[in-house]
Amino acid sequence: MAAKTTTRPAAKSARPRTPRSAEAYRKKWTWDSVAWATHCVDCYPGSCMYHIYLKDGKVAFEEVAGSAKKLWADVPDKNPMGCQKGAAWSRMLYGQERVAYPLRRVGERGAGTWERVSWDDALSDIADKMLDAIQESGPETIIHEMTPAEGGTMAIWPTQRLLINLLGGVATDVNAVINDFQPGHYITWGKFNPATGAGGEMRTRLRLIWHCNPVYTQIPNYHAVAEARYQGCEVVHLAPDAGPSSIHADYYYSVRPGTDAALALAMCRTIIEEKLLNERFVREQTDLPLLVRVDSGRFLRQSDVEAGGSDERFYAWDTAKKALALAPAKTLRWGKVTPALDSRTRNVRLADGSRVAVVPAFGVLRTMLNRDYTPEQASAICGVNARVIESLARKVATRPTAIYMGMNLCKYYHGDLMQRAMLLLLALSGNWGRLGAGITSWSPGSGLEGQGLFGQKQRTGLAETRRVLEVRDQLQAMADAAAAGADSKEIASIDAMVNATRLGLTGMIPPAFFWYYHCGYRDRWNNKQWNDPAMKRTFDEYVNEAVDAGWWQGVLKPAPDRPPRVLFEVGGNMLRRQRGGRSHLLEHLWPKLDLVVSIDWRMTTTGRFSDYVLPAAQHYEKPNFHTASAALLELKFSDGAAKPEGESLSEWDIFRKLAGKIEERAKARGFAEYTDSVGRVHRLEDLYERMTLGVEGVDDLVDEWVKDTAAAGMLKKGQSLKTMRERGKAEFTRVGESVYTLNQATDAEPGKPYTSLQRHTTKGQPYPTLTRRAQFYIDHPWFLEAGEQLPVHKDNPKMGGDYPFVMTSGHNRWSVHSMNITNRMLLQTHRGRPHLVMNTKDARRRKIDDGEEVRVFNDVGEFLVPVKLSGSVMPGQVICYNGWDPYQFRDWRGPMDVEPGMVKWLHFAGGYGHLRYWPIQWQPTPVDRAGRVGVAKVMSGANGSGGRGRSRAAER
Amino acid sequence: MVAKQAQTNGAKPASRQIAMVFDLNKCIGCQTCSVACKMLWTRDDDRSDGTDYQWWCSVNTMPGRGYPRDWEQMGGGYRNGKLQLGKLPKRDDFGGGWDFNYEEVFYGGKGTDAHLAPTGKPPAWGPNWDEDQGAGEWPNSYFFYLPRLCNHCTHPACVEACPTGAMYKRPDDGIVLRDEAKCEGRQACARACPYKKIFFNHARNISQQCIMCFPRLEQGVAPACARQCPGRLVFVGYLDDPKGPIHQLVHTWRVALPLHPEYGTGPNVFYVPPLAPPPLDKTGAPDESKSRIPISYLESLFGNGVSQALATLKAEMAKTRAGKKSQLMDLLTVYHWNDLFGPFTRDPSTIQLTEVGRK
Repeated sequence: MAAKTTTRPAAKSARPRTPRSAEAYRKKWTWDSVAWATHCVDCYPGSCMYHIYLKDGKVAFEEVAGSAKKLWADVPDKNPMGCQKGAAWSRMLYGQERVAYPLRRVGERGAGTWERVSWDDALSDIADKMLDAIQESGPETIIHEMTPAEGGTMAIWPTQRLLINLLGGVATDVNAVINDFQPGHYITWGKFNPATGAGGEMRTRLRLIWHCNPVYTQIPNYHAVAEARYQGCEVVHLAPDAGPSSIHADYYYSVRPGTDAALALAMCRTIIEEKLLNERFVREQTDLPLLVRVDSGRFLRQSDVEAGGSDERFYAWDTAKKALALAPAKTLRWGKVTPALDSRTRNVRLADGSRVAVVPAFGVLRTMLNRDYTPEQASAICGVNARVIESLARKVATRPTAIYMGMNLCKYYHGDLMQRAMLLLLALSGNWGRLGAGITSWSPGSGLEGQGLFGQKQRTGLAETRRVLEVRDQLQAMADAAAAGADSKEIASIDAMVNATRLGLTGMIPPAFFWYYHCGYRDRWNNKQWNDPAMKRTFDEYVNEAVDAGWWQGVLKPAPDRPPRVLFEVGGNMLRRQRGGRSHLLEHLWPKLDLVVSIDWRMTTTGRFSDYVLPAAQHYEKPNFHTASAALLELKFSDGAAKPEGESLSEWDIFRKLAGKIEERAKARGFAEYTDSVGRVHRLEDLYERMTLGVEGVDDLVDEWVKDTAAAGMLKKGQSLKTMRERGKAEFTRVGESVYTLNQATDAEPGKPYTSLQRHTTKGQPYPTLTRRAQFYIDHPWFLEAGEQLPVHKDNPKMGGDYPFVMTSGHNRWSVHSMNITNRMLLQTHRGRPHLVMNTKDARRRKIDDGEEVRVFNDVGEFLVPVKLSGSVMPGQVICYNGWDPYQFRDWRGPMDVEPGMVKWLHFAGGYGHLRYWPIQWQPTPVDRAGRVGVAKVMSGANGSGGRGRSRAAER
Repeated sequence: MVAKQAQTNGAKPASRQIAMVFDLNKCIGCQTCSVACKMLWTRDDDRSDGTDYQWWCSVNTMPGRGYPRDWEQMGGGYRNGKLQLGKLPKRDDFGGGWDFNYEEVFYGGKGTDAHLAPTGKPPAWGPNWDEDQGAGEWPNSYFFYLPRLCNHCTHPACVEACPTGAMYKRPDDGIVLRDEAKCEGRQACARACPYKKIFFNHARNISQQCIMCFPRLEQGVAPACARQCPGRLVFVGYLDDPKGPIHQLVHTWRVALPLHPEYGTGPNVFYVPPLAPPPLDKTGAPDESKSRIPISYLESLFGNGVSQALATLKAEMAKTRAGKKSQLMDLLTVYHWNDLFGPFTRDPSTIQLTEVGRK
C-alpha cells in the first residue's frame, strides 16, 4: 500500500518504567497497513495528501503525509498540508450521517420515513422514470445539478458520461451553482480564471487580504502569509469586521460592507494624481489609451472612421504622429506608436465626413476619479481614513502587491464593480503577470487526459488510445491551421468552445434560465427594491431582450415550456446551497419533478427531500483523483483502501449499473433510440457497452485513465494505477493545452514558479476581450445605460427589504461547505449548532444575551438561530457562516430563507465581444452577501415559535 | 521574569527535557492539533472508555474563559515553594461530549419538526465555546489563539500531589505520565495542576492527560499535534540542545515564554507571544504608539518578559522589511518543515507497527 514499509521492532528506546498503561498507549498507536488518501480540492489548490492507517479492515485514523517537495529555495515547503477536517475525515466514514444502503422514501417527500430497497429495485424504478421523461418530454428534462468536486473525479465523470454525454441530459453550470465565478475578472480579462500563482510568495511585499478570511478558509495554506510576513511582506486586512484574519495582519482597516470599489478607486486616483502610474503597463496591457467618442460614450471604431471598417478594431492617438493609430489586435505591443494617455479631447474625422470629439478612456477615467473619488469622498463612503487611503495607494504603487481575495466578493450584487476597481488598482501599478503580484482566482485542474480520451475510445487498451490520439492530433493540426488567422491560440480555443455551446453541443447550461423559468426566481428577480435602483427597465425586459437577441442561443435548456422532470444530485446539496433556495425550491421546483435522486455518502437536506438516497462509497472506499488548480502540476491519488460500508458503491459502479438497467428497461418497452433537441441521436440498445467499453471494476477504469494520460504525454511513461498506489502522486509533464490552461497564459512548467497572465505581460499576447486588452471601459449599451462603463461604486441594493442589519456571512471554519458539518468530532469544536455572530452593543440594545435564540427576518422569510456575541463585528453587521445543513436549524429554516437569491441583471448582457457564455465563464450567478435583515428577541421562551406573527415593522 | 523555582518533594528532575514552542503569530485556531490528538488518544468510538469528552490538546480564543471554563481562576501550582491544591474543574466546566439526534432527524418520520442538535440538556460549555469572541470593541477589538496541552512541567505539581504514587516524570525525556493501574481517581493531580489540563475519566475512575505522544516519540515521530499542525508553528525538541530552535527561541532570543510562570511549576511548553495590528484612533488612522492587545493582559499570561519579547520580534521584523536578513526571522519562518521537530522527523507511514508486534 504505502511506498515503503520498514519493519521495526516495537520496543526500542530505553524505558526505565513501563507500566501496563504505558504499554496500552503504545498498542493504541498501531496499524496493519497504510494507504494514500486525499479529500477535496475546495480550498485550492487543495488535494492535501494524507496517509490512512488501517486496522482490522477499518480506517483507524489518518494523518497528513507531509510528502510535498520543497520546490523553491527561498520559499518554505508546503508541508504538511491538511486541516482539522482532513484529520477527522474517517469519523464520517463511520458516523451516523453515513448512508450505507439504498433508501426509498415512504410517504410524502421530506417526511423522513424510508424503506431499505435493493439496488436492483431502486435502479429499475429510476430507469423507468428516466425513460418516461425522455419519451414524453425529451432528455433535456433530466437535470444533473452539477456540483463541485467534493466527490472527486470519480463522482463527476461517470455522472456526466451517462446523464449528459450518452443520454443528452442537462448539467447546470457548476460555477454558477457554486457562485464562484468572478465576474469582474471576466469583464476585464475575458476569463475569470487566471489562477493564483505559486513560488512567488516571498516576492510579495504588500499583501492585501481583501474580501477573504484565510484564517478560516485557507487553513492548509495560511502559513505562507505568516512566513512571508516574517521575511518582510506587509500584511493589510480590509474587511467590515475585525475578524479572525485581522489578528495576524500588520494593519487592519474597517471597510463598510460593499464599499470596496470606492476605496479602490480613491487609491487609483492617488496613484494617478501623484504620478505613481505605471504608464508602460497601462499603455501596453489595458484599453485605457483607446479613444472614446464624447457624443455616444462608445469607443471610436474602425467602422466609424473607414467605410467597411471593422467594428471590433479601435484607436489610440499617436502623440508622435499626432494622428489616429489603429490598435493592433494580434499583439499588445504598440510598436512605434506612442498612445496618448491623457485627458485631452481631440476632433477626428469620420467616414461620413463629420467630425467627432474623442478622448482616451484614460481621460474619461481620470475625470471621473477627480470628480467622484477623492480620498475624502471615498472615505465618506467606505469609512477608511482618507490619509490611510493615500498611504496605502503609495504602497501599492511601489511594491509587488498581491490581493488575497476569496470567493466572497463574487457573491456581492456589485461584486463585479468591486473586482473591476481592484483590478484597475493593480493595472495602474503594474501588479499582475509577474511573480509575487496579482489577485486570487481559481481554475479547473486539468491534465488527467485519460478521462477525456476514454470518452473518445470505442474499446479499451493502448492500441485504441493511440488511434484516438492520432485522430486528435490531426484534428488539432486542423484547428491550429484554422486558428492561424486568430488573434491567439487562446482566443481560437475560446471561439471553438463558444461555437459548440451555441450549437447546443455542450452539456452544461447557465442555470440562470433554469432558475428563472422553472424554479420560481422570476418574481424575486423582478422585485425592484431588491435590485440596483439604476435599472431603467424591468428585469423581465432585460431578460427578454437578451433571449430575443440570441445572446444565449443553444443553452436555454430545459426550454421554458418543458418543465424539468428528473433531478440528480451527486455529492451535491441544492437545498442547502442554492441562494434563496430551500423553501423556494420545494415550493416551485419540487412539484414539477417526477424523480429526485441523491447519490451521496452522507444524508443531506436534499437527500432527506429525495425519492431515493443511493449510498456512494466515501473518499477512502474508492480510487479517486482530485484535480484542482491549474497551478498544481501534480496528479494526486486517493486509494480505495477500505471496503465500502454496507452496500455503498463507487459512482462508477452506480452509473454503470444504471446504464445497464436503462438498456434493459428500454428493451422491455421497445424503445431503441431517440433524437434530442439539437438533432443528436441517442441509442439505448447498447448503452451499457458504450458506457463501460467492457470495463467493470473501478480499479480497471482508473488504471486505464492513468495509462492513457501517460500515453498522451501528460505524465511520464510507465505510470499506472500501481505506481499511483505506491507513490500517491505523479507530476504532470506540462501545463497542458485545454482552454482553461490556455487561459492561464503562463509559461510555467513543472518545478518552476507559476505565474498566470505572464504571456500577456511579457510577450504581448492579446487578452480574449473585445478590445484584446485588459478592458476597463465596457461600451455595451446596457453598461452605458447602467453607468457602469467604468468601474464605479454603487451601494448594495436592499436585498430582502429595508432592514437595519447587513448579513455578510462567508465560509465557516469547521467544514468544507456542508460536507463535514455533521462530523460529530468537529461539532465539538464549536457550539455544535448554527449561530449568528452579532455585535455585543447591538445585542445589548435589544436585550439579547450570548447563546440566546433570536429571530432573523426580512421580506423574504425568517429563521431562528442562537446568537454569539462578539466585539469584533461591525455594529449593524451580522454573520451567519455558510455551510450549515438546513436540518441543523429549527424548522430547517436558515439563511437561505432570508436570501432572495438575486442575480445582477447586467450579467445577462451578451452580443458584445467577450460577453458571451462558455462553460464556467460569463453568466449570471446568484448573490447572497450583504442582504438586509432584522434581528429580534424571541419573546416567549425557548419553544422557538414565539415571536412569529408579530408585526415586523415594530421590530425594525 | 524567571519564576521562583519551586522546592518540591515531587518528581526527580529529568536528565533531559522534551519541550515545545508554539508560535502564536502563526496560529489560526483551526483545531487541527486538537483533532489530531483526539483521533489517536481520546476518540472513544463506542463511548465506553470514558475519554469521549476529553480534549487533551485544545485551542482557545484569548481573552476568554477557556477550557475548562474559568480555568485561570482555579489555582494550583506552588506558592513560595509550597504545593497548592486549587479548585477541581467539574464535568460541566469542560462541557462537550455531546450526542446528536441523527436518527430522529434522518429516519424518525418527523418531517422538519426535528432538527439536528445535541440531545439532552442544551449545552452551556464546550472545548471551544467562546471561539472568536475575544475582548474590546470594534474596530479595536482583539483576540488571539492559544493552543494548550499538558506542560510536562519541570516541577510537576500533579506528581507531588498524587497520593498513590501513580504519577511520574520520565527521567530521560521529562514526560509526565501516570501509571493508570495505580491511579485511584482521587484527582489531587487535577487540583494541583494550575493549567487544569488533567481530565477525570468517569468510566474508569482515573485521571488522564496528554502523554506527549510518547509512543510516537519513542519511534522518532513528532507528536500528532505538532506534526499535523498546518500552520507549521509547533517546535518540538530537547530544551538543552543549544543548536535546536527551542533553546534558541527560549534562551538565546527570549521570544518564547512559558504560560503563567507564576505558578512555579516550570512549564515546558513555551509561546511566542502575539503581535497585533495597531489600534485605530478616532479618525480611523492607526496609532502605532498603542498596543491593540493590552500589554498588562499579555504580562498576566506570559510574565514580564513579554514586552521585551515583542520588542525583539518587531525589531527583527523591521530588519527584513528593510531588506536585511534576520536569524530570528529565519528561525521562525521554518524553511523546512522537518526543522520543527528536532530529532523526531520520522514519517510514521514508513513504520510497520502492528498490534501483534506489540504483544
